[in-house]
Amino acid sequence: MTRNVGIVGGGHTKWGVREASYKDLIQEAGKAAFEDVSDVTPDDIEGLFVGSVQPERFAFQTHVAPMVAELLGIDVDSMIARTELACASGQAALRYAWLAIAAGQIDTALVLGVEKMNLPRQYDAEAQTSMANVMDREFDGVNGFNAPPYFAMIAQRHMHEYDTTREQLALVAAKNKTHAANNAFAQFQKEVSVDDVVESFPLSPPLCLYDCSGVTDGAAGLILMSEEKAREVTDEVAWVTGSGQTCLASNSINNLPSFSAWPQATKAAEQAYEQAGIDDPLKELDVAEVHDCFSISEIVEYEDLGWVEKGEGGKFIEEGRSELDGDIAVNPRGGLLGCGHPLGATGVSQALEVFNQFRGTVEPERQVPDPETGLIHNLSGSASVHSVMTLARGRP
Amino acid sequence: MNEHNDETTKETGGSDIATDGGTDRDVVELPDQVELPRMLDFYELQTEETTQISEFYDNLADGQLTTTRCTECDELHFPPRIVCPECHSDELEYVDLPHEGELFAFSTVRAGAPMGMEDEVPFVLGIVDLGPVKLSAHLDDAEYDDLEIGDPVEMKVVEIDGPVDHERVFYRFEPQE
Ligand SMILES: CC(C)(COP(=O)(O)OP(=O)(O)OC[C@H]1O[C@@H](n2cnc3c(N)ncnc32)[C@H](O)[C@@H]1OP(=O)(O)O)[C@@H](O)C(=O)NCCC(=O)NCCS
Ligand SMILES: [Zn+2]
Repeated sequence: MTRNVGIVGGGHTKWGVREASYKDLIQEAGKAAFEDVSDVTPDDIEGLFVGSVQPERFAFQTHVAPMVAELLGIDVDSMIARTELACASGQAALRYAWLAIAAGQIDTALVLGVEKMNLPRQYDAEAQTSMANVMDREFDGVNGFNAPPYFAMIAQRHMHEYDTTREQLALVAAKNKTHAANNAFAQFQKEVSVDDVVESFPLSPPLCLYDCSGVTDGAAGLILMSEEKAREVTDEVAWVTGSGQTCLASNSINNLPSFSAWPQATKAAEQAYEQAGIDDPLKELDVAEVHDCFSISEIVEYEDLGWVEKGEGGKFIEEGRSELDGDIAVNPRGGLLGCGHPLGATGVSQALEVFNQFRGTVEPERQVPDPETGLIHNLSGSASVHSVMTLARGRP
Repeated sequence: MNEHNDETTKETGGSDIATDGGTDRDVVELPDQVELPRMLDFYELQTEETTQISEFYDNLADGQLTTTRCTECDELHFPPRIVCPECHSDELEYVDLPHEGELFAFSTVRAGAPMGMEDEVPFVLGIVDLGPVKLSAHLDDAEYDDLEIGDPVEMKVVEIDGPVDHERVFYRFEPQE
């Protein structure tokens, strides 16, 4: 890429079951993002990228990027779009903003991720219906395949093929939910033990309730700038050093390469590592926000992001290597398991977390000691698509 | 058929909120129930007017699970296609799939079911390995605790009872005796 791009500011709403509308969430996150970096105003924004998955169903609204522009008073000069890539929509928005700036089309972009998933109680099934439509609705969703049973089968296969244990899954959930207990934005702010996880409601075995992320309302925003502009407004920047993404011509069950391995994640990570000049991710990455939509996901990711041998993911958590003081601090934010997962907002929030870890502005209980490098990862749909971005505190 | 039940709106909305002049207001009336458009039904429309894979559904209605194979490159597809993803030929033929296979993976849904499926909770889902293809399936007459990976299962055809003007069918699987 021709130009360096960095995150110069960001903001977050409280996540959870919010007494707030889709538009309220956009305004809260937008206000917080601009307040974070006082020398950038809506007038500076040339590109606006909005990650949002199902506003048509949850908020009965389409053409949402222009709505964000209106609500935040942004006259967009150059590029405006919404990105939809299911659970990776936020990172997709971030990736396009990065590309547009790196390519020299624009200097300043706002990335905003937002989802309003909780409707009044009697419509609970609505969110589940929408999430059952990320694979082929005609042949997979129709059977009742939403995320929990599907990821339960991934857990079952991983346990079957690699002897991963129920307890190892619970260690992931307990770690992340406990981080979230110290995150003011998180949906689930309660410390959770391994016993709590295995004793929670056996929702879709082997997964229990606490092995799952939540159904969440929330938004987050980020301001990205070219190096030249960033220098004018702040010294604290999270530089984008690499970004990779892969989909292996697959979305429905029959066409997935594997159920216990995600070779697409490996490819996406390799792309990002190569761009960032990372040879040994385990040694060179300090903090990682990976897509723990379910506890099993994080275990597969330890392996397929190239940190341990295939099948050793369970041991990785057992040995404490993903704890705050481990080889890589994984999901200090609290992950999707603890923060909840307002689909389009998650990738944006993950990148903001890495930035905040660099600046040392997170709650002290979950601050990683002096991180210099970070990674965000999202899977989407049936985990047929993986998106990885690397970030660094020092200019590339 | 799923219905959007409008109780809350009725309890809190509209004419109960007495303010000055309220009684003179014109009332905009909404129906108590809004029918879901057919697009929001999980089951595809299956006739030749609505889909070019209607032959798949016709075969299924006749009791046979089929899928498409490319006559150019021999690739077998599932789900059935009208264009081969491998070579983009549209010379495809329908071939029979086996009706018996093995459980590759399974779980159960004890809460959090999608709309229209809540009444079936708890239900069992699986990935069925038929040999040439693996497909996702709803498992009837199955208890989660009794199942193991590798268990033999067989296909059955079910009729979908819903408010469309043509008969619809789909496949489900059940454990073999
Ligand atoms: C797991 C799930 C089905 C639970 O939904 P539910 O059964 O409707 O649960 P409810 O909303 O009724 O909540 C019941 C209680 O459990 C808690 N709870 C719900 N989900 C939770 C979770 N993931 N972790 C911890 N607690 C949770 C609620 O806070 C509530 O607690 P309370 O009784 O103290 O208020 C739902 O959270 C879910 O679908 N999660 C996964 C989301 C998903 O698939 N995302 C896409 C990933 S790819
Ligand atoms: Zn072909």
